Amino acid sequence: MAESGVISAYVERLARALDFDPSLSRRVRREVEDHLWEAVSAHPSADELEAERRAVMSFGDPHVVAAQFAVVSLAKQARKVGIGAMVVIAAVFIAMKARLAWYAVMECPTGQMGSLGEIVVSIDRYAFWLSVVVGIAGWTYIGGRPIPATFTPEYRAQLRRFFLVCLTATGSLIVSVISDGVLTSLRLAGTPWSLDALIPFVSIAIEVVCAGGLVAAIRSVTQRLASTGRAMRMG
Amino acid sequence: MLKGHLDMIVLAALSAGPAHGYAIMEEIKRRSAGAFDLPEGTIYPVLHRLEQAGLLAGRWVTADSGRRRRVYSLTKRGKRELSEQRAVWEQFADAIGSLFKGSRPWQNPA
Repeated sequence: MAESGVISAYVERLARALDFDPSLSRRVRREVEDHLWEAVSAHPSADELEAERRAVMSFGDPHVVAAQFAVVSLAKQARKVGIGAMVVIAAVFIAMKARLAWYAVMECPTGQMGSLGEIVVSIDRYAFWLSVVVGIAGWTYIGGRPIPATFTPEYRAQLRRFFLVCLTATGSLIVSVISDGVLTSLRLAGTPWSLDALIPFVSIAIEVVCAGGLVAAIRSVTQRLASTGRAMRMG
Repeated sequence: MLKGHLDMIVLAALSAGPAHGYAIMEEIKRRSAGAFDLPEGTIYPVLHRLEQAGLLAGRWVTADSGRRRRVYSLTKRGKRELSEQRAVWEQFADAIGSLFKGSRPWQNPA
């Protein structure tokens, strides 16, 4: 069937309206293109241009369709952040435990930790477990919410609460990672440098990268939220 | 009113077996004898939402035309949800039916 370009132009407009979520945009483009060609072949007409126009008209305004997708995209992104936060917390926990196991194996001296060390250990412990509890609460909260068909004020409030919880978990995790860095420096201060000493620093680096990754993910979702909000207003 | 029941309508349309978006739309029109003639674009956000909720499973297949298309089917959870929604709907429809049966024409008290 010869293309008149009406369907391609429509699909292009829809994909642009969905550019707040590139992977969704690619998927919808393929699905909708197939749908429209199926509609054209199901209702053949002597006038190809007319058949394509009819298919596109029946599909609806691309901005309205994009706005309906926006809430699905938001829910997907929020759930991804929830899962990401849990993965990052687990990775930090493993790095922390690996470092402690290494200290035990190497019979590493506690160095000049003293009373400052004890305070930092407490801060580290409370901050980490706070991030675990708050992270699980946030994940359970957003995962258990049904995705509404439209962006209701209630769902907006739920998302806002979820991001607040995520930020609290991330903040606590950052405090814990900083405390880990301080503790590692205190523990290794004064010990002669060796290749083995790299292991605790590598584990700290992993923690920093994980926490940084989580911050970047939350920032990216927040930016997407803004563009998704624009798409919804256009719809 | 129709929009509030779109999830149930889509789940019901898929109860016959897996289908792609266009076929689901046609099935809805056919089963409702044309009463549910929605803008066709409405169905895709619903399909994506139901898939994300775990009520539908989607997979890409290659159609005879050579185009890639996504085919959706009900998951176990989707089937359970549909039967629950059907039970609620039937109860509601029965209640409304009973209300109408019991209604009397307006009597002027004067």
